[in-house]
Amino acid sequence: MTDSIRDRLKATGEDAEQTTPVSHGEHPVGDPTVSTHHSYHAELDPAAAKSAERAVAALFLLSVVGVFGFIATFIFWPFDFGEKNFEFYTPLLGIFMTLALCGLGAGAILWAKTLMVDEETVQERHHLASADEDKEGAVAILKEGAADSGLGNYPILRRSFLLANGALGLLVVPLLFGMGRFQHKEKVMATTGWRKGSRLLDELGRPVKLGDLEVGGVKSVFPDVPGGRRMADSAALIIRMRPEVLKTRESRKDWVVDGHVAYSVICTHLGCPVKLYEQQTHHLFCPCHQSTFDAADSAKVLFGPAARNLPQLALAVDDEGYFVAQGDFNEPVGPSYWERKPHYADKVK
Amino acid sequence: MASFGEKAAGGTGKWVDDRLGSANFVRRSMNKVFPDHWSFMLGEVALYSFIMLLLTGTYLTLFFEGSSKEVLYDGSYTPLKGIPMTAAYASTLDISFDVRGGLIMRQMHHWAALLFMAAIVVHLARVFFTGAFRKPRELNWVMGVGLFVLGLVEGFAGYSLPDDLLSGTGLRIAYSIALSIPVIGTWAAFLVFGGEYPGGQIIERLYPIHILLVPGIILALISVHMGLVWYQKHTQFASPGRTENNVVGSRFFPAMMTKMAGFNMMVFGVIALLGGLAQINPIWLYGPYDPSQVSAGSQPDWYIGFLDGSTRLMPNWELRFWDYTFSPNVLLPTQVLPGVLFGLLAIYPFLEAKLTGDKGYHNILDRPRDKPVRTALGAMAITFYVVLLLAGGNDIIASIFHLSINEITYALRAGLFILPIVAYFVTKRACLSLQRFDDDLLHHGIESGTIRRLPSGEFVEDTVPLPSQYAVLLETTPERKELAAHNAHRLEGAQTAVATKPRGFFRPKGGAPKDDQKQLES
Repeated sequence: MTDSIRDRLKATGEDAEQTTPVSHGEHPVGDPTVSTHHSYHAELDPAAAKSAERAVAALFLLSVVGVFGFIATFIFWPFDFGEKNFEFYTPLLGIFMTLALCGLGAGAILWAKTLMVDEETVQERHHLASADEDKEGAVAILKEGAADSGLGNYPILRRSFLLANGALGLLVVPLLFGMGRFQHKEKVMATTGWRKGSRLLDELGRPVKLGDLEVGGVKSVFPDVPGGRRMADSAALIIRMRPEVLKTRESRKDWVVDGHVAYSVICTHLGCPVKLYEQQTHHLFCPCHQSTFDAADSAKVLFGPAARNLPQLALAVDDEGYFVAQGDFNEPVGPSYWERKPHYADKVK
Repeated sequence: MASFGEKAAGGTGKWVDDRLGSANFVRRSMNKVFPDHWSFMLGEVALYSFIMLLLTGTYLTLFFEGSSKEVLYDGSYTPLKGIPMTAAYASTLDISFDVRGGLIMRQMHHWAALLFMAAIVVHLARVFFTGAFRKPRELNWVMGVGLFVLGLVEGFAGYSLPDDLLSGTGLRIAYSIALSIPVIGTWAAFLVFGGEYPGGQIIERLYPIHILLVPGIILALISVHMGLVWYQKHTQFASPGRTENNVVGSRFFPAMMTKMAGFNMMVFGVIALLGGLAQINPIWLYGPYDPSQVSAGSQPDWYIGFLDGSTRLMPNWELRFWDYTFSPNVLLPTQVLPGVLFGLLAIYPFLEAKLTGDKGYHNILDRPRDKPVRTALGAMAITFYVVLLLAGGNDIIASIFHLSINEITYALRAGLFILPIVAYFVTKRACLSLQRFDDDLLHHGIESGTIRRLPSGEFVEDTVPLPSQYAVLLETTPERKELAAHNAHRLEGAQTAVATKPRGFFRPKGGAPKDDQKQLES
């Protein structure tokens, strides 16, 4: 067996990618300590080879079993949501697919490790860098071609060619800008759906009335405008606490109704909804990056990477006892951006 | 007598060769020699995971609808019946509940993505610590870093597509990150999303990016990456008979090829097992995306975790000047940091060559201990990365261990700067001690198990010179070669304790047969 491999290798001997099997007695690299891999096949006696063959075949057959198991499960196992045992559908498919794949894989590996001839072989590396004459030749060809093109001789051609290439890149610019709608960025960024007199609707679209909330209660609210429930920048949270715990600043005295305050839920850090309210401490917590705001004190930042208070919604109560907004939030909601003006909303009003 | 099969194969081969001249290529490539080592299989795991991603991903495209058009759900998952949601989310539910075998394909796709990124990271660490990135393989290193980054982008785009509550939250964060770019941030965010968030365009845009653009680039880069491994020939660890100018190992055909194909199937099998048994991203539990909703413990996929961590650790610095806002609290951890990290990673081979003045070809791999500074730098980088990864899960850590999230954050902020420095010095010392251990082996040999009692009553253990098979492994520096040569005479006449093939990665395995009790008695 080994001999026939030697013959085969000899046949490739004149190739640049010369390979030489290593074995004791021959030291192709002149090292007396060269060791050799086992030629597994040669070491197996016929009985051992037979048993290895059977093990490999068993694994291959296991793979076939896996394939049929997969097909049977796929067709016959209950699949529809809620049907008896449907929850085992995917796990069973997984198990049979694993059998199919790993049976074949393990069989192949065992085959290669026990029955295939795998002699350690030495192959010379070819030198990667080109010979000097090739390098010089390449440079000469490029130089000659550059000269032949005439770019060096015709300055107007050269400049106009470069200009045309540069200008071609500009084609991308309008296409790029066409990707976005032309919007008044400052305005759309700084304003939300809230208007003066908008009622506060809860998640089911019912207006929130004074007295709906217990002390310590919170409710997600949305502006009473078409599509207000889905507006990504308008969601707010109305919170009721005991009036004496509220540290209302002088300028915000009129924004509070009987211990009720409302803040934007859009985090001023990266825009996640800040809706985890801790009743005891009056903290609002953002689950994304843990910015913590003090709901009792203008939603100022207590901890985390957010830099600014949550914008506040000035509250009032209309004739029928429903909460309404006095206008938009006091500041643009959500994360910071380059053109952000803190008091844009005032200017619009 | 040639069998029918041989004739048929010969005929086909001749037909192809007459047209393509392929015999020469086949002869050379089938005879190609590959060195064998378990750590060379890490990159293979990434490759096979990628193939699995292509296979399962293609299947998923047959059913997924990349659209943010609103529909009322009317599938078989009863808890969400009649709920308005995007077509993207509804079609993902359909894949999970109404397509036979759809759920396992989805879960295998997700697991394969996690495995792909994990294999890339571990493969990168192997290449780094063994110095496989050195000349002539710097280009492949840079391409590998590129594949890492593309994998991040591709993974993010992929898990953003189902438009469930978790992925929508991730997209909103991505939008906000774009906003933080100075001067052009608002423009960039509006262009990518098609307007103010949610913009109504992002799912439609991410879909072709995820299934065509990025995977196409990854596929092309992987092909070149592997083509270069093939062309430049694989590196090998030092071992008797191995030099900078040869490759010692198995020929590609048949044993190596069979083993690789078998390993491929095994990796597929593991992904299938995970996809079948380990639930991942159960989007039906998260619900459709609603900009006003979020769930506690929102976590990205693991490979984005380090960026989430850096964002969580960052102090809340924000600057205002004139009428403009600049947000280092967002810009630094989400854009500057990954830019610097991946930039440094990409240029590392060139930096190292510049700083060490080593411009030579290297085909023999380093043992990590033999390059203490590089190994220590690697440990430093890993520590930095792990601190960020932990920070990305600070809320999970807080709830599992009942710790204060604020204290964890403060501790990790300090740890981010202190621990890498500690790791650097500890690793460097460990490498130097391991080197001394090797020196000791070369100088004194190995314990023989023979205990002698001196006339003074003292017990000493004889040592046996290190057999040459081991010694060559350790002669990695000129000083050591000298040391070994100096001790060579001790080999003469000494009993050779071990004469088997040297094995082991970190140090030679096996040793002198020890039978202390017997020796003491005699």
